[in-house]
Amino acid sequence: MLTIYRRLLWLYPKTYRREFQEEMAEVLGQLHADSSKTCLLARFRFYVRESAGLIAGALRETWHQSVMRRFTVGNNFRFPKATWILMTLILAGVISAIRKGEAISVSLPHDNPAIGPIHPANTVMSGWVMSVLIMYAVGLVVGGVFFLVRRTKLGQMSGEN
Amino acid sequence: METMPLTEPVLMILLSLAEQPRHGYSILKDVEEMSAGRVVLSTGTLYGALRRLLDDDWIERLEQKDISRGKQSYRLTQRGRKNLQFEVNRLKHLTRLAHLRIAWKES
Repeated sequence: MLTIYRRLLWLYPKTYRREFQEEMAEVLGQLHADSSKTCLLARFRFYVRESAGLIAGALRETWHQSVMRRFTVGNNFRFPKATWILMTLILAGVISAIRKGEAISVSLPHDNPAIGPIHPANTVMSGWVMSVLIMYAVGLVVGGVFFLVRRTKLGQMSGEN
Repeated sequence: METMPLTEPVLMILLSLAEQPRHGYSILKDVEEMSAGRVVLSTGTLYGALRRLLDDDWIERLEQKDISRGKQSYRLTQRGRKNLQFEVNRLKHLTRLAHLRIAWKES
């Protein structure tokens, strides 16, 4: 039974095993020795509890290490200068577009003759193409920011090591 | 200090460590004894909780010489003790409220 427990411990992530495997194996050994003095039903319940606990624990730790830690940013994390420049450029672009729009609306005469809705050719197609292009551009910018953040984070981590 | 309500296993582990530093096996046995056999933690549950408590700086490893890794002891930190006290006060308030409500219903 102890061999099975030791094999189940291999389900845990490497870093977790490095920290706790020895301790867990020792505790499991002690509990196993205790359980050998109990009745068959109690022993069966012990096997089920420990096996289920180890499997659930391994899943929880794997989830924690693969997902949660990826999104955890350390207290000493700082955005790189390139990110600040990129964000400032984006902000400047947005402000400039708003100003331009305001200037166009002011320059138009207020007494425009009423005109009906404009139906350009290939409305649906061009709309879709424009949406895709805009989304692609936004994706590129966001991806660029994430890439810079990730690279800086990795650099900091390797620097710490 | 605002913290999330603790789960029963975590509360029992903290209560066990509040008395004195303990190693894994000792915590399991103490929790079982405290709850009169109602709460029996598995090794996986215990070490999952210990890892989270270590990460959150609620407990720390006790530095001991000539002790094997398997006999590693843990103790509450100042932060862990404060949070445990906060949780106990929360439970006290809840129990008092429950008594009042039940008494009001019975009268």
